[in-house]
Amino acid sequence: MGFVDYVQAIIDGLLFGTTYSLIGIGFTLVFGVMHKINMSYAAASLAGAYCGLAGPQLLSLPLWSVFPISIVAAGVIGYLIYLACFRFIPLASPLAPLMSTVGMLLLVDEIVVHATAGMPQSYPAIYDGDPIELGAFILRADLIGVFLISLVAMVVLLLLLYRTRLGMATRAVAQQPVAAQLCGMRLQAVNGLTFVMSGLLGGVAGAMIGASVGMLSPLISGTITVKGLIVTVIGGLGSIPGAIVAGLLVGAAENLFQAMRNVTERDIYVMLLLFVFLVLRPNGLFAAGRSRD
Amino acid sequence: MLEVRGLAKRFGGVRAVDGIDFAIRPGEVFGLIGPNGSGKSTTVNLVCGLYEPTAGEILFEGQDIARVPTHQRLSLGLARTFQNIRLFANLTVWENLWMAENAPAHRMESGFLKRWIGGRGDARERIAKALEFSGLSHRADDLAGSLAFGEQRRLELARALAARPKLLLLDEPAAGMNAEEIAQLDERIRALQQQGYTILLIEHHMELVMAVTDRICVLNFGRKIAEGTPAQVQADPAVREAYLGTAA
Amino acid sequence: MVDFYYSLAQIIGFHALIGLSAYVVLQTGQVSLAQAGFFAIGAYVAAMLTVLAGWHLVPAMLAAGIAAAVMACIVGFPALRVRGLMLVIATLAFGEAVRLFFFNFDYQIAKGGVKVGPLGGEGFRQIRWFPEHGWTSFDVMLFVWAVVALVAGALWWLDRSRFGAVIRAVGEDELAAQSVGLNLTAVKVAAMTIGGFIAGLGGAIYAHYTTHIEHSNFNVLLATFAIAYPILGGLRNVFGTIVAVIFVQGFLVEGLRFLGDWRNLLFGALIVLAMNLRPNGLIDAATAQRLARLFGREARRA
Repeated sequence: MGFVDYVQAIIDGLLFGTTYSLIGIGFTLVFGVMHKINMSYAAASLAGAYCGLAGPQLLSLPLWSVFPISIVAAGVIGYLIYLACFRFIPLASPLAPLMSTVGMLLLVDEIVVHATAGMPQSYPAIYDGDPIELGAFILRADLIGVFLISLVAMVVLLLLLYRTRLGMATRAVAQQPVAAQLCGMRLQAVNGLTFVMSGLLGGVAGAMIGASVGMLSPLISGTITVKGLIVTVIGGLGSIPGAIVAGLLVGAAENLFQAMRNVTERDIYVMLLLFVFLVLRPNGLFAAGRSRD
Repeated sequence: MLEVRGLAKRFGGVRAVDGIDFAIRPGEVFGLIGPNGSGKSTTVNLVCGLYEPTAGEILFEGQDIARVPTHQRLSLGLARTFQNIRLFANLTVWENLWMAENAPAHRMESGFLKRWIGGRGDARERIAKALEFSGLSHRADDLAGSLAFGEQRRLELARALAARPKLLLLDEPAAGMNAEEIAQLDERIRALQQQGYTILLIEHHMELVMAVTDRICVLNFGRKIAEGTPAQVQADPAVREAYLGTAA
Repeated sequence: MVDFYYSLAQIIGFHALIGLSAYVVLQTGQVSLAQAGFFAIGAYVAAMLTVLAGWHLVPAMLAAGIAAAVMACIVGFPALRVRGLMLVIATLAFGEAVRLFFFNFDYQIAKGGVKVGPLGGEGFRQIRWFPEHGWTSFDVMLFVWAVVALVAGALWWLDRSRFGAVIRAVGEDELAAQSVGLNLTAVKVAAMTIGGFIAGLGGAIYAHYTTHIEHSNFNVLLATFAIAYPILGGLRNVFGTIVAVIFVQGFLVEGLRFLGDWRNLLFGALIVLAMNLRPNGLIDAATAQRLARLFGREARRA
């Protein structure tokens, strides 16, 4: 394969990698606030995307309604996960919240399988036009659409976090939950809203993944979970810029591995990438100020 | 027994400990005091190996232990208690003491297999004695987390002693105690000294420190500002200034 | 009909083994989703030894256990560099890497005119040591439970030894453990290795029970089951894990009868519910104490 092919692979990977970034941000957002990982996050995001399909299929809405419904549905699911796994379980208990999110992951996966009878569902693309040619490289128009939408979602999130009172409350609670409460912030409300925010983001990611691949299948939930977690870890737990960079990195690397070898071996190399990172930089690229313990 | 030379520790730009020297003689009770943030806790953590020094030496019985891993310092003869009690809450009192059976003295009494894979029989006598000394025999099978605060402190001390250390580091043992408990602590420290332990005492409670120590070292902003007997330190103007501020 | 219950008992046995393999590791505070990977290694190694090299089952099983243990030991060291949640992710990735490795793994030999051995996505068929040696379903069940009893007994005894208390101490508070002279590296890697060995044993027997293994048998779901049992059962007591296995698998299989295909859904919901109601497991430290007193354990006081 020629040099051009490899660069092409990297470009495609970078464009798709933004969806990984979104999933990574979602994981890291929840981690930043709850100091726990929500293992069911990727599955929930994809479930939201599935819900979007209900628009055209069950409610006879136009095809483009899939996207907003996916996003909103994922936000709702996010809140439900908060209630089931974090609202009532004592956070001091080390394993219980983690285990409950794992249970949730299984539950969400199974609900999806039952609802769709295990059959893959086709998902509309963002844009059906011709690819754009840029010299020797081809840019798929729909991937560019995915890229742009994901970027917009990230920007909206960052604006929300850093320019609004809600965002400030979220960051305050993440850093000092007790002090934040003393300042009058309602912990449960802020935490719940954080889950809604990450859920909405996940809905975008799920929809974009469906749009790029052209279909959704219950089988991909496990892979996306693992890759999303890899992104979070490489980027540094709790760091949003880290998740963004790592998502692009993993997307590009994955596509490159696929071009160099083949699809089946690709994922092994992605895992190895994780190991190399863990050995060299266990705190990730941008470790978000963990106290020395 | 313990000598610290030019010890320094930086965390990023913060110089928690900025070059201190002191020496502790065998059999004495040595106090380390200073206002909050003076570097006392950091010094203790350096001596125990939880931090690695940025500079300087830590000589224990003539050997530089600055690079010796934490868990090996116990077998060299250094044991400590923690300021905010770190017991194994979900282990019983008995098991907590059992953990400390790592000292060379124990190694000589029981072989490797017995110490690791063996049951309780071997250590029963030793631990029973330790329990008696700290008045915790009646609580031997209770979970350490269920003990009252005072009992937890006694267990913490007993655990440090179970390792039969040469140097005992007490990190603010009087924190949270009332007058009666402090009086008991005073007696206990004296008793330990009589039994031959060398003690490094980090404390805020001035009365206790002045009463029970042989010599004191005073830190402020990571540096030593005074050293001497309790009487000398109390009279030192630099110490007064550090604690109370300069005279108006 | 009776065969159904033998089969159920066997399945409970394998799950008990993988649960027990996670039990030791979890006690040191390391949440490992890699046990399914060690289970897989045990399965493939043992199957290759009996089918391709003609070994007897028992030595093959032990060799498989050792192979898995070696892998676990190797994983154990880099695992030390990552704390808590990151370890979960790292071990998850490792488990998936193992699964993908076997998805791509071909090693076939011709035996008596037929090609046998693992064949990538197809998996490894014809692992027929049990039928070839005339073992009935009942025999297999006894064998599985004999192994479970041995392993559980060994872990029970380990729990009561000083090393067992050391393992729990490390899981409780690493800082305090270090200060009391415990070598964290040695303890954590040892626990991981022991866990790997047990998982390898389980995988070895499992391969011969199903006669056909493939990569998808060793997925995240299995890794989840592995840690779910000790967590649900409580980390204080080996029996907690076994009770959890019996409860979950028994419940699921019973649920299977009435509700058809909804068992995984139930499993997920069950976990969420259990964690809300009993965050420290069915048999946590306090409960273990009360149970011990109830049964008049004077032995500890003697």
